[in-house]
Formats: sequence, C-alpha cells, structure tokens
Amino acid sequence: MTEPTTAAGAVAGAGTGWGDVPSPAVSPTPIGEPLPPPEEDPRWFQRAVFYEVLIRGFYDENGDGTGDIPGLIAKLDYLQWLGVDCLWLLPFYPSPLRDGGYDISDYYSVHEDYGTVDDLKLLLKSAHDRGIRVIADLVINHTSDQHPWFIESRRDRTNPRADWYVWNDDDQRWPEARVVFVDVERSNWAWDADRGQYYWHRFYGHQPDLNYENPEVQEAMLDVVRFWLDLGLDGFRLDAVPFLYQRDGTAGENLPETHAFIRRLRSELDEHYPGRILLAEANGWPADVADYFGDGDECHLCFHFPLMPRLFMAVRREQRYPITEILSQTPEAPDGAQWAIFLRNHDELTLEMVSDEDRDYLFSEYAKDPRMKRHMGIGRRLAPLLDRDRRLTELLNSLVLSLPGSPVLYYGDEIQMGDNLYLGDRDSVRTPMQWTPDRNGGFSRADFAQLYLPPLMDPVYGFSAVNVEAQQRNPSSFLHWMKRMLEVRRQFSVFGTGSFEALPCANPSVLAFVRSAHGGDDGETNPVLCIHNLSRFSQPAELHLGRWADRQPVELLGRVPFPVVGTSPYPVTLAPYGFQWYELMESQQTLSGELLLSGDGILDGNR
Amino acid sequence: MTVPEHRGAPVELPSSSHPALRELVAAFASRLERWGPDGQRGDEPGQVLAEMVSIRSADRVRAGRPGLVSVTADVPGMSVHTVLGLRAPGDEVQFLDDSDESPLGLLEDDDGLAVVFDATSDAELALRLLEAVGGPDDGFERVRRVTTTAERTSLSFDDRRVLTVFERTPPGGGAQPGLELLLGLDGAGFNHLLAPVAIWRRDGVDLGLVQEYEAGSTGGWTLALTSLRDLYASGGTPEAAGGDFAAEARRLGTMTARMHLGFDQAFGRKMGDITSWVGEVEAAVRLADPVLLEDETVSTLLEDLRTSNARCAAIRTHGDFHLGRVARNDVGWLVVDFTPGGTPVLTAGVVPAEGPVFRSPLADVADMLWSFHHVADVAATERDPSGMLGLGELAQAWEVRNRRAFLAGYLATPGIGGLVPPVRDVVRKLAAAFELERSASKLALRI
Repeated sequence: MTEPTTAAGAVAGAGTGWGDVPSPAVSPTPIGEPLPPPEEDPRWFQRAVFYEVLIRGFYDENGDGTGDIPGLIAKLDYLQWLGVDCLWLLPFYPSPLRDGGYDISDYYSVHEDYGTVDDLKLLLKSAHDRGIRVIADLVINHTSDQHPWFIESRRDRTNPRADWYVWNDDDQRWPEARVVFVDVERSNWAWDADRGQYYWHRFYGHQPDLNYENPEVQEAMLDVVRFWLDLGLDGFRLDAVPFLYQRDGTAGENLPETHAFIRRLRSELDEHYPGRILLAEANGWPADVADYFGDGDECHLCFHFPLMPRLFMAVRREQRYPITEILSQTPEAPDGAQWAIFLRNHDELTLEMVSDEDRDYLFSEYAKDPRMKRHMGIGRRLAPLLDRDRRLTELLNSLVLSLPGSPVLYYGDEIQMGDNLYLGDRDSVRTPMQWTPDRNGGFSRADFAQLYLPPLMDPVYGFSAVNVEAQQRNPSSFLHWMKRMLEVRRQFSVFGTGSFEALPCANPSVLAFVRSAHGGDDGETNPVLCIHNLSRFSQPAELHLGRWADRQPVELLGRVPFPVVGTSPYPVTLAPYGFQWYELMESQQTLSGELLLSGDGILDGNR
Repeated sequence: MTVPEHRGAPVELPSSSHPALRELVAAFASRLERWGPDGQRGDEPGQVLAEMVSIRSADRVRAGRPGLVSVTADVPGMSVHTVLGLRAPGDEVQFLDDSDESPLGLLEDDDGLAVVFDATSDAELALRLLEAVGGPDDGFERVRRVTTTAERTSLSFDDRRVLTVFERTPPGGGAQPGLELLLGLDGAGFNHLLAPVAIWRRDGVDLGLVQEYEAGSTGGWTLALTSLRDLYASGGTPEAAGGDFAAEARRLGTMTARMHLGFDQAFGRKMGDITSWVGEVEAAVRLADPVLLEDETVSTLLEDLRTSNARCAAIRTHGDFHLGRVARNDVGWLVVDFTPGGTPVLTAGVVPAEGPVFRSPLADVADMLWSFHHVADVAATERDPSGMLGLGELAQAWEVRNRRAFLAGYLATPGIGGLVPPVRDVVRKLAAAFELERSASKLALRI
C-alpha cells in the first residue's frame, strides 16, 4: 500500500467544481443552479435536505453487480429532479466490507468496486454544478484489521505504529464500557496472537479502535480530513465519534478528551475550509448529544436519535406526547448549529434511547417477526414498518420536513422501497435501488448472481411494482408527492432556520407548532403553522392563535386561503393522518388573483 | 417555594357604601344561584335581595377608572366573594366569551358614578386584577376564560398564567378547600401541578390564586375515554388497540405515588388505624346497601383486615382522586383539581373541625382504580346503551390492564414502600376495601 498523499501535496484542482457565482447567497438557491462556495453560504446545511445514499446500492454503471461512483453520477439528474440539497455518502474507502464499508483499510483511496479518486472528484464537480453538495462518512474511531496501520501495529510492541491502537495485556480493563453489538460480540477486547496482547474494539472484533492518546493518530486523521476536503467534499459525518477515548472508571463515551479533539478538528475546518461541516453520529439523550455542538465550536450538526423512535411510537399510540416530551428535553442548538432528524437510515431503527417498556412496545408493534430484530433495534425500511400506508408515510415525512432540524432522507424511501429480512445483519435495508421494472430493477446489467445483494422481487415491494420509472410517470405517486414537498419546504426558510414553538392543543392526537423567523416575525418572513393528525381517525382541534390574530392562514401546498385568525380558538379539522401547513400572512398581503374569504362570504381579491 | 400573598394594602371602602354594595352583591349572588346541585348552569337567576346581604369586607383594589372593588359577603346559604369592575358610563367593554354582559348596577365613589360589571367578564379589568393580585408583571395581553363553575372563575393570560377568583368562600371565611394541599405539595417540591405564583388572601380568607398555566392539557377522563372508544370500535385486546392507555396509566401511578410522598413531606405522617378505616368502610356500605355486608367476600375481606395487625402509615390524602382530577400535558400528568368532590367520604382538602384527617394513601389509589372501572362502564354504555353488543368483556380487559399498569407505576416508585403496608396481600385488601367504600358512597349519592 503506497503512503498516502498529504494536504501539502493535494491533488490539483482542489476546491474546483463551484462554477462562477459571484454574488453571496442570501436565500435558498433554486434547484439546478450551481451553488456558491460553502464559505459564502456557511449556513447552507441548516436549510438543506440531506439524502443518504449507499454507493454500492445506487446504480451500477460498469455492470459488475455493484453500484459505483460513475453510477451515482449518472443518477445525479434524478437527484436534482427530486430536489435534495446534499448527498451523504456511506463509506466508499477501500475495505474488506465486513461491516458495510465501516471497516476502512485505506483512508486515501476509493474502493475499487466503486471507482477511483478521480471518479469522486468528478462526482463532486457534477453534483455541485447541479446545486447539490456532498458529505461523506468518515470512520475516525476505528479501522479495519486489514488496514496497514493495524497490520504494522500488531507486528510487535516496538514498531512505529505500535501505539496507534489500544493494546493491553489482559481483557479486564474498562469493564464499565458497554458492548455495542451485544448480540454478536461478548467483549470489547480481542486477543491478537501475533502481538500477544488484547486490542480494544468498541464495535466488531475486526474493527480495532485507534488510540487517540497518540498525537500521531490525531495528526493522521486530520491529514485524512484535509485530503478529502481539498478535493471539494463539503464535510463529514463522523461515525462513532463518542468512542474515541477511554478512561478508567468511565463508560468510555463522550469523554472531555473526545470533545477536545473535535474542537481541534472543527478549528481546522473553520480556518482552512470555512463552510464545510461536521455531522456527529452520537446516539444519546439530547442533553448529552448537545455537547457535540460545543459552544458552536464542535460539530455543525448532530443526529437527534431519540426523536426517531418516538415518531413511530406517537403514531401507534395516536398521541403527540412521545414527540413533545423529547422535544421539550432537547436543548436548542447553538447559533450556527442544527439538529439532524430522520426516519430511517442504513442501520437498524435503533431503540437504545427508549425505556425498556417502550422498547418492548415498539418491538411488539413494528417487529412482530423475531427476524426483524437487529442488535437493539428493528431492521426494516420505512415502508414495511408502516405497512406501506401512503397516508401514514406522508404524515411521518411531513413531520421530518417540518420539525426543527435538517431532514435526512434514506435512499429508496422516496419510492417506498421495502426490505429483505432474510439478508444478514443490516443488509435487509441496503438492497439495490429500484429504477425500473426491468432486469435487476434497472440497477445493473450484470447477471443476477453477480449482484452485491439481490433486489427485492416480492409482489408488494419488488422492483416490478416499486421503481422510480413508474413513479416518475405517475403524477400521483409518492415520489411526486415527495418532490413537491421538498419544493414547498425550500420556499420557506423558516423550516430550516426558524424557531419552533409547540402550540397547546386539548386533542392529544394533534401536534401543532409554529415555525417563525428567529426573533419573531421580521415582517418579511411569515410564520408557518404546521398541524399534524397522529390518529387514523379524523380529528378536530382548536388552536389558540390569538398572537397571530388578523393574519390569514394560506395552505402551502395548494395556496388556498383559510379564514382569518381571530381572538377565539381557531377550529381545524384534520383527515386521518392528515397534516396541514399554513403560511400566516399579514392581512394586507393579498395574493394576486386569489380568492379571499371573509366573514361576509367569498370576495374577489381583485376588487 | 414561598408563594407571595396579595401585594399592597387594600383600601377599605367606607360603610356608607355598603347599601349600594349590597345591591350589587345581591345581583351577583343571584347569578351564582343559576348553578344547580348538578354543577350545571341554568338560565334562571336566583332571587337574592339586597336586604339578605351582609357585607363582611369591601376593599378598593384599584382606584380610578376602570376600578376594582373586592367584596366578601354572606347571603342565605352561602358566603360569596365578588370582584366588581367599575367603569365610567359610556366606556367600551371588551367582554370575554361566555360572559354575562349585563351590568350588576351602579356605584358612586370618589371618582364619580360608575357602571359596575363582574370584573371577570371584562378583559381589561381582568388584566388589571392580575396586576393587583401580585402576580409578576409579564406584560400579558390576551385574556381567555378557562372555566366557570358555581364556586370559581378561572381566567388565562396569554396561556401562561391562570388567575382563579374564588367566588364562594367557606362559611364564615377561611381557607379554600384544597388550597392547603396544593401549597403543601408545591412546597414539598411536587411539580405535577400548576405551580402557584401568588395568593390573594384577606384576613385569612382565600380570595384568589395565580398559577402558572399551559393550555392544551387533556383531562384524564377524556384520555381514558378515547382509549376505550378505540378499543370498543376495533375489538381485540387492549394492548393491541392503537389508543392503548396502559403506558399512561403507569405514569399516572408514578405521579400518584409522588403526590403521596409530597403529602408526607409537607404534612407528615401518623400511624394508621386499619380497624378504624374498616369501620368507615362498613358504615359507608351500610348506608348504601346493608345487604352487601352479609356477602361472604365482603365480610371476609373486612374481617381479614380487621384482624391483620398490619401497620400502615396515614397521611393527608387528596380525598377525591379520580380521572377528572388529573390532566395530561406535553410533559406529563398533573393534578389539576383539589376541590371537594360530591361524595360523603372524606372530600379533598376539607378540614373537619377536629383537624385534618390522615388516611392511608391507598384510599386515593382505590379512588383512581374505581375511576377506571367507572369510565369503562360509561364508555360501554355510550357505545351500546342497550347492552346488545356485549362489551363487558372488553371493558373488563381494559380495566384489568390499566389497573395493573397504574398499580405497577405506583408501587415501583422509590420511597412509596414506606407509606403502604409491607405485605402485598394487605395492600391489595386495603385498596379493595377503600374501593368498596368509594363505590358504596357513589351508590348512596344516587339513592
């Protein structure tokens, strides 16, 4: 393996791919237009809708049965059409692929199945030209045991990288640290016969933890970061970031030293790569995860893990309390930072952050088949979790698109893709993207047997029934609905950067809240009222909107004006799993050509 | 916390104003008499005459126009408190929804002739009253009527504060029933209630209370009813029904235990007398249905308790604890009502002449368990008045599930073990006895 290049020898052309857009961005960039450089729009991530994509599962350009970067490039037009703002790439680095690529064996290259570094550069440029940014996973806590660093480290106790990993003579140290993959691993220590010592691994045994006590390791990771940012990457998702350090008497998570390193990393970005972002994967209670924002000097985004299972719980219990309770416990992110919210991702639907009782409840509701359980979660995609209920799927997506935070969509969920429980581990939710009803779902021209994973072929979720081509043709499809929702969301900056205020409502099945420009109405940005019915039955609600008296709600999807708000409670009626978003417009703001309703009847707005 | 009382010294009106005040109070009391014993407000006002009114106190709370005068008085059958709003003739008044907009009468004072309204009907006067009573001035703007009952009116201010004006006071003055419990719990750190902010009190008579407030809570009865309606509509098992209440029942149990621990901290505990309680149960059953005492199950239950020699703590209890006294908001369960209920059993916060009553906390537990039974019954009757659908089995399944969840939440709360008998069988029997007492009392009310 060749020695990696350093930032000083960055590949020529770093920072290109932005086009000539001289004016600074002051409002969301329309779809398809080249983006300004991130340093000119440092809050881009607060307005963005992220799209998590598995490269090997997206599109196979060269017909070898595995998705690749050229394939992703080929599908950028689709992503542009859909309207997402930023791609999040799962690991594309060289890897033995024993953990979906999260076991990296070379930080400076691209897995040969996916392409080359030049392919990635082209991807970045092509995406940027279409107005789409790109971030990528970076596994900084551990490497593959096939990484040259580890191969060298384990050779003996004196080589230059002997101290790059965490070694110990016995397996008794740090007993307080929990085993993350409890159903597969029995210990955080693994014996290495060559070295004659145990090495520390918080995840699989083939993923030894790097030793961040060693300054060389820290510097090495900073160098990795510089390498990819110099190519034009817009940021990183820091995988497993809470686990970087260990200390006696602690659980080995969220230690102060970890935060110190993240601050150092952030400082590097702020100084040399302004506008690039760090997204923390820290699964914990909001009050604890909020530490990863620092004082605005650590990560830009943090996943809000506890919210996600509570969305599912709320619609099952048909009560908003699971959502409102966790949001009431969620600290506000510092200025310039944001929570990231999601419904599903490449992992299991994790239930670590709920009580035992609630976990049992969710298992009984959503994982009736024991094969659906993965680690401490449920290995199912969104559509099967919801029995492909269109209305319910729309409701949950509307929540993720309107609640405070940057939404992160998972590839395939926009067409209601299913899953395959018979595949191992979390592969159930990583099957090939379904593009057409043709062979292999249009994912690849390879022989079926060559495919990295079989596509879905059942009558409900199989590619013949569920695919992009069919849904693009059908204007009533879920895909078109999602596209429309992203369009609407983009038009209102309050969804991205606005404040959040839950509105009291006596009907527990109704969740209502207002998104406003920070600091109150600024006269130019109207508040947006969002109302969601979590019940499968129609529901009434009365909302106390007196603070917005005399404003007229205008529904966002259809731009239909509704009765003006008065001082009395405002009655609304919601269809089963229905939702409504309204712009609360000043009374003097008229919509050209629109009919305005008043207490006297229907008036022509042009009079 | 120490809840501040009314700030500033009220200015007593001269006795020369009492004749006019008697007319005004008579008009006000006549309106109160619209309320029937069923708690419903009728259309016909009462017939209280001025000469029936005896003024106890009359204070100017706010001078000028609009002005406020607080009057306490005795009329036949009740002691009343009214806040009179004084407006200049011709003043425009923004009345709150569901208000009686007719004036109570006229009053002449140092500022001239005033048209007098019930201040709780007038949005601006309500804001002035809140300022005067002593709640922190937070620049409230919007006033809304929350509830009006035969005894009190509650107004919300920006949905962040609620002012309750006590319009019926205990005979001869004194503390409002239940207020002592609320203040005691608040002082003990129990935060499952609307936190008191200020008390309006004069010469030991409670006139009003300001509390923190958040609109949008849902009553426990409504939540339980929704769950039952869902179950009756869908069938199956309670845990499979979408609106399963068990998780909330468990949380309610936990809150109830915390309430009792709060009572213990605020008012202390005594050694309970199970024999005496058994006697009270027998008395209640005898009143409702004496034949029931001859039932073997009942007689065995009471005898077992009488001879158990079990030790049990006695604390101040809510006294009328059921689903109608609790509400759920976005952060959890609250006890929203400490007012006396309609049963002859110990009522919430009513302190007999001989002093406060201490009882087993299982009495409150039993009241809530009975409430689960009652709501299941009501929901079944609502859906199937004729009984042809046979919802009894579903009702029982719902009741069993939620009783268990409630008790699990209650008994698992750290510290509650010190307030209940150590032997689980005694706990079960004592709760059953109290539930029998509750049921008998309700039956006696209907007889």
